[in-house]
Amino acid sequence: MHDIDDLERRGVPGVFVASDTFTDAAAIQAEGLGLDVAGVFVAHPIQDRTDDEMATLADDAIEALLAALTGS
Amino acid sequence: MVRMLEGTTRSADEVVALIPPNLVECTVEKVAVNAVMAGCRPEYLPVVLTAVEAICSDEFNMHGVLATTMSVGPVLVVNGPIAASIGMNSGINVLGHGNRANATIGRAVQLVIRNIGGGAPGGIDRATLGHVGKQGFCFAEDEDASPWNSLSEERGFDRTQSTVTAFCGEGPSLVIDQLSRSPESLTRSLAASLRTTISPRVVTGMDAMLVISPEHMARYRDAGWDRTRFLAELDEHLMFDTDEIIVGADGIEDGLPPGLAGHRLPKFRPGGLLVVHAGGSAGLFSAIIGGWLNGPAGSDPVTREITP
Amino acid sequence: MSNHQSTRTTVLDPTAEQRPAKRERTARPESLAGLTVGLLDISKPRGDVFLDRVEERLTALGAKVARYAKPTFTKPAPVDLRHEIAIQCDAVIEALAD
Repeated sequence: MHDIDDLERRGVPGVFVASDTFTDAAAIQAEGLGLDVAGVFVAHPIQDRTDDEMATLADDAIEALLAALTGS
Repeated sequence: MVRMLEGTTRSADEVVALIPPNLVECTVEKVAVNAVMAGCRPEYLPVVLTAVEAICSDEFNMHGVLATTMSVGPVLVVNGPIAASIGMNSGINVLGHGNRANATIGRAVQLVIRNIGGGAPGGIDRATLGHVGKQGFCFAEDEDASPWNSLSEERGFDRTQSTVTAFCGEGPSLVIDQLSRSPESLTRSLAASLRTTISPRVVTGMDAMLVISPEHMARYRDAGWDRTRFLAELDEHLMFDTDEIIVGADGIEDGLPPGLAGHRLPKFRPGGLLVVHAGGSAGLFSAIIGGWLNGPAGSDPVTREITP
Repeated sequence: MSNHQSTRTTVLDPTAEQRPAKRERTARPESLAGLTVGLLDISKPRGDVFLDRVEERLTALGAKVARYAKPTFTKPAPVDLRHEIAIQCDAVIEALAD
């Protein structure tokens, strides 16, 4: 999130992706940074997923990622 | 508070470090407020200040240590004259409770991270389990009764210097060996426990600290083994055939990636095992404190000199 | 800090006493078509597979994709890398923290 915060300061719209176990941590960190950093959360866990499962997670997240990066 | 600040010659508005996770500038005064809350005496303040500097270094990577889901936090080892002068415990119950300096220095450092950096448990601190040492984990090495050079000397300082070494570690785990009479046997015994540290399938990527008690150390003193000899002998018993700990070996899906098959690897990277002498004079036990990811991607131990 | 009046109690704050200034997100483009989107891999296992699929989807939508990776997920990206992304990209997606 520090990275996205920094890139936003540099004028680059950004969004991070995290597993949904980090939803509250992200909110707290955003408070600490002073920017409501855009985030998209995917279903936890990640580490033991197959490639197909990872692709499905990405497919499910793509609309939210586009929405976070574009004006709508 | 005024008395606390008299514990250091540094000025109250001096910036000590940028405290993660919010990377907030932290002054001597702010550290002192947290030291008062933790129950420190003024003479502990220089240790707290140096410990804060050590954990906020790039090498120690407090941000990563805080945010990891693993059960680790700063473990602080104090060496040199200041340990005795502020009444730190290096003897009975050294890793436990009951000594004000040991208990409150580590606590003050944790409060700095939490109150100033914003790193509260359940917030940015994501530890799945944590460990009780995250309340504060600080102790002194028993240098006087050790036949070996101290941790601090091993890390490039001399005995007249007071230092704090920050190690990213989990809770201590007891190693029992009450029968070994020879250093060879005890070394094999310690190695057998060290091989399982963190996980029997983790090699080279994580460090550990070994706290050798006086009665175990006596085996090495009596046989004339120094630290170098001990570590060399220990290393021989800490090698792994990677085929035995690879993914799928023994029906266990966790393990080293298949590409590492057919190698021999050491449990610890060179210098990855920190050895400290401490504990009560009776008891044939030692303790292992497992670490976390080491190197640039994780946390490296950091030793800093404590100045007034 | 001052306590020169013995009857006065001063309460000290152990926190940073700083609240960061609230900032707004930078302006978003209408669409990503024709723009360069940076995909920043934080270097945790499986994140690359996720980003491979995101790249396919973005490319299909007419965006250009540039891939980057942090040396480690445990620290913020090096300043040089952030600078590089800022110069080369119109938007950025960072993944995948778990």
